[in-house]
Amino acid sequence: MLPFAVAMTDLTHIRNFSIIAHIDHGKSTLADRILEMTGTVAERDMKEQLLDKMELERERGITIKSQAVRIAYTARDGQTYQLNLIDTPGHVDFTYEVSRSLAACEAAVLLVDATQGVEAQTVANAYLAIDNDLEIIPVLNKIDLPAADVAEAELELHELTGASHEEILLVSAKTGEGVVDVLEAVVGRAPAPSGDPAAPARALIFDSEYDQYRGVIAYVRVVDGHFARRQLIRMMGTGQQAEVEELGFFGPDMKPAERLETGEVGYIITGVKDVAHVRVGDTVTDARRPAGEALPGYKVVRPMVFTGLFPTEGDKFEDLRDALEKLKLNDAALSYEPESSSALGFGFRCGFLGLLHMDIVRERLEREHDLELITTLPNVEFHVYLTDGTLQVVRNPAEMPDAGRIERVEEPFVSASVIVPSDYVGAVMELCQGRRAEFVDMKYLSPHRVEMHYRLPLGEIVLDFFDQLKSKTRGYASLDYEFWGYRESDLVKLEIVLAGQPVDALSLIVPRERAHARGRMLVEKLRQKIPRQLFEVPIQAAIGNRVIARETIKAKRKDVLAKCYGGDITRKRKLLEKQKEGKKRMKQLGVVEVPQEAFLAVLELDAGDQSR
Amino acid sequence: MQPRDAFAGPVRHVYVHVPFCAARCDYCDFYSEVVPLRRAEGGAPEPAKPAASAPLDRFVDAVSTEWELERAAHEVHGVRTLYFGGGTPALLGVGRLERLYQAFAAQLTAHAEVTVETNPDEADEAFAVWAARRDVRISLGVQSFLPRMRAALGRRPAADPSAAVRRLRAAGVRDISVDLIHGIPGQTADDVDHDLAVLADLAPDHVSWYELDVVPGTPLARRHPQVPSDDERAALYRQVVRGLERLGYRWYEVSNFARPGRRARHNVAYWRARPYLGLGPGAVSTVGGRRWRDAADVADYVAALDPSPRDLPSPQDLSSPRDPSSPREPSPPPREVESLGRETLARERLMLAARCGSAVPLADVRPVLDPGAVAPLVAAGLLSLHSGRIRVTRKGRYVGDEVCVRLFRA
Ligand SMILES: Nc1nc2c(ncn2[C@@H]2O[C@H](COP(=O)(O)OP(=O)(O)O)[C@@H](O)[C@H]2O)c(=O)[nH]1
Ligand code: SF4
Ligand SMILES: [Mg+2]
Repeated sequence: MLPFAVAMTDLTHIRNFSIIAHIDHGKSTLADRILEMTGTVAERDMKEQLLDKMELERERGITIKSQAVRIAYTARDGQTYQLNLIDTPGHVDFTYEVSRSLAACEAAVLLVDATQGVEAQTVANAYLAIDNDLEIIPVLNKIDLPAADVAEAELELHELTGASHEEILLVSAKTGEGVVDVLEAVVGRAPAPSGDPAAPARALIFDSEYDQYRGVIAYVRVVDGHFARRQLIRMMGTGQQAEVEELGFFGPDMKPAERLETGEVGYIITGVKDVAHVRVGDTVTDARRPAGEALPGYKVVRPMVFTGLFPTEGDKFEDLRDALEKLKLNDAALSYEPESSSALGFGFRCGFLGLLHMDIVRERLEREHDLELITTLPNVEFHVYLTDGTLQVVRNPAEMPDAGRIERVEEPFVSASVIVPSDYVGAVMELCQGRRAEFVDMKYLSPHRVEMHYRLPLGEIVLDFFDQLKSKTRGYASLDYEFWGYRESDLVKLEIVLAGQPVDALSLIVPRERAHARGRMLVEKLRQKIPRQLFEVPIQAAIGNRVIARETIKAKRKDVLAKCYGGDITRKRKLLEKQKEGKKRMKQLGVVEVPQEAFLAVLELDAGDQSR
Repeated sequence: MQPRDAFAGPVRHVYVHVPFCAARCDYCDFYSEVVPLRRAEGGAPEPAKPAASAPLDRFVDAVSTEWELERAAHEVHGVRTLYFGGGTPALLGVGRLERLYQAFAAQLTAHAEVTVETNPDEADEAFAVWAARRDVRISLGVQSFLPRMRAALGRRPAADPSAAVRRLRAAGVRDISVDLIHGIPGQTADDVDHDLAVLADLAPDHVSWYELDVVPGTPLARRHPQVPSDDERAALYRQVVRGLERLGYRWYEVSNFARPGRRARHNVAYWRARPYLGLGPGAVSTVGGRRWRDAADVADYVAALDPSPRDLPSPQDLSSPRDPSSPREPSPPPREVESLGRETLARERLMLAARCGSAVPLADVRPVLDPGAVAPLVAAGLLSLHSGRIRVTRKGRYVGDEVCVRLFRA
């Protein structure tokens, strides 16, 4: 039994810390080692990437959701400390998760893969930690690998954090070498929590999880006072009151306790079912002795990328709604609103943090909820100012007003930072130029590595920018970006007209100077993807009424099996029945049957279009 | 009026599968066994080894027995069409053919259509004389009049097909059909024109001209042949249809063409979804909602229908008379049975009618029809709709499979 499960730990023996790193630099592995070495998890229960609970996280090797775990660590000074470790995601899409977790900590282990050096999310996360006044413990990982370049990576870490040679720890999360030093540094360098045990209780909700039986599970960091079972609590933001049904900590499974003390990290369950009433970023207090002031919360995260999700089978709309509702319970950043498309029927326009987020949500919908989905081309949120002076927010290209009513269109820009070996500076510049990017500045992290800053339309990044960047720099570049602001651009709506009918699900908003090339490529792609039909099918790309590209799918000239006598009837009927079954995977647009793949043609277009 | 069910009513059509060939052709996926031939001086071809003729005799007996069993089991009225297909039925030789014919003779109606398939090689003088005497319709497997095309199909070099047609005619055969194939690897429009020219000269009563179907698993398919492209095959097909129509044939089914009054009545019965019995290994029968196929194995087939003395139990076995397997009675061969529900039957009705462009009352197929599919097909000229009946047009016939798939309800 862990000593503090029953006994209270005084503030001076608590340390709350995160591990922050660029993706794949070894957070999850380091967390595994720590859990193992401190006996938090018995050896027989140890599995890799232990804190990645979701099947999807394990399979993809990425952390999507933060996890908090309480660890008992007996340090070299002979004292036992309560360490609360919060594992965080490393992908740019999930930066908001990191920032929330950091608010619950006093220290951050900044982990850098010594074979890679400082990367874009290393920088972004380091700044987040600095903004949150955290003690940064710089660590170089993977020193067991021959490719580790400790000297270079150390130099970069020094540039980034100002840390001295002595302060930078060298570890191998894989072999366990140096991991104890990390724990010692947490105990020795990280400050103890500074809350007031006697003050009215306050805790920050830094994350939440929805359990279908127990309702909302709030992840909290107690800042002042304490919380106990049966206590009546209040959410300061929403005003929701409830009795604490259960509270406790993660070890790493949920372990109920009697109390959560000042400085501790744990969970609270009240039986409240509605996530809207237990908001992440809100402050929990004692309803009978409420605190005067709420803790600083977080910025509400806003989806940046939008796409239409449609069930391939029309009657699955309600199932999709239910599934989205369930996912939303655990994913505050996901947004969705019903949308109807003449091409794809009823579905939802969904908002995501980025493409990885979109990908994960779609995969979870398909896997966990057994849905088959068509995704339309992702796009950003456009601000369209109309001639009558009003602003229309457009998240779906089909909703773009007529050109005649538009005064100007603004699109979101991001400031992006790219870290790359200096040899590839030219390649990055070339790529960015083709993306309507504006160069801001560039600085050397070390003699060999450069951090470049750009301002560019988010719409240029969402599809394949990252892949292109990787391929043009042989995998060496890393990217981070954040929202910068809206800015006017010369954009037009490109419409696809199939057999005389505009197909809303295939329209897109593109920079005017690229409209022709895009239109031509798109109709060509569609011609390849749409099989010949019984009828001739003209495909046109148009801006307004002006057709800018055109292709024709010729009608099928022959489709009939030559022989059908007494012995062939069954086989032949089954063949037709099978073909009919196969058509379920087609969308009927007027008389045209369009395979699902055709809707992805627009996606491929961008991936294949390297010339831009 | 009650909707008429497919394959309902008394049986009036019989098919006999004769599963023997002199050699296998590379493109063929019919069930047949190879019987090596020796050609006697000026006489009928006979199996090379005398031992090989015993199975042929037993086969004829087994078919006769199956026919007796089937007549007892089903309502069989006067047989209007009887079709000996294969394989190569003519390989049986006229003696056995006559015996086989006699097994059915009593049930044939006055103007019954009796067809025998043959290859030019087996259509010798004796066969021609027999066919004329029995007023049998002959379906001659030519495939192409060009030896080069026959070689591309992997068909054994054969006697001149034109000579075979002339021989049959000279003997007095009154109804001759020729089987041809288009879409052969390497086949050009000129090659098809050549076949058309020969047809113009021979003037058979009926032509079945199929597009080559490269069936997976056949030796031809294993050669990965370069068949003409989709568009080329579509063009060859149209060339065939137009060419034959110019010669005075009517295009009455996807691959079948006849001079007036010379349609293959037996095959028309399938396309009108009439009930039929199929005898012989691999043959299929459909009566009402039941369809079955005799196992495609001649040994099993004969063993079930004709338990010869060799198969009878020995005296020791007779000491245990309770053994249910002895003494053995002729019984139907092993069969694969499929039961056809109303919707399946309706779909087949539609599918078969599409091949001939025959009208189907909407009421008969409504449960399996996608009501929204009709109008666009009519608008495109692929389907016609008159007084509650739909009909696949000539234009639609070329794409009849796709038309059916569109018409079927999801
Ligand atoms: N050789 C070696 N591999 C490591 C080390 N730490 C992590 N890895 C590997 O690096 C990859 C990414 O590690 P992971 O912990 O999933 O990174 P995360 O994305 O930061 O959570 C995995 O394949 C790990 O096995 C290390 O110290 N040495
Ligand atoms: S002769 Fe006819 S049945 Fe025999 S293998 Fe050739 S094509 Fe097939
Ligand atoms: Mg991880």
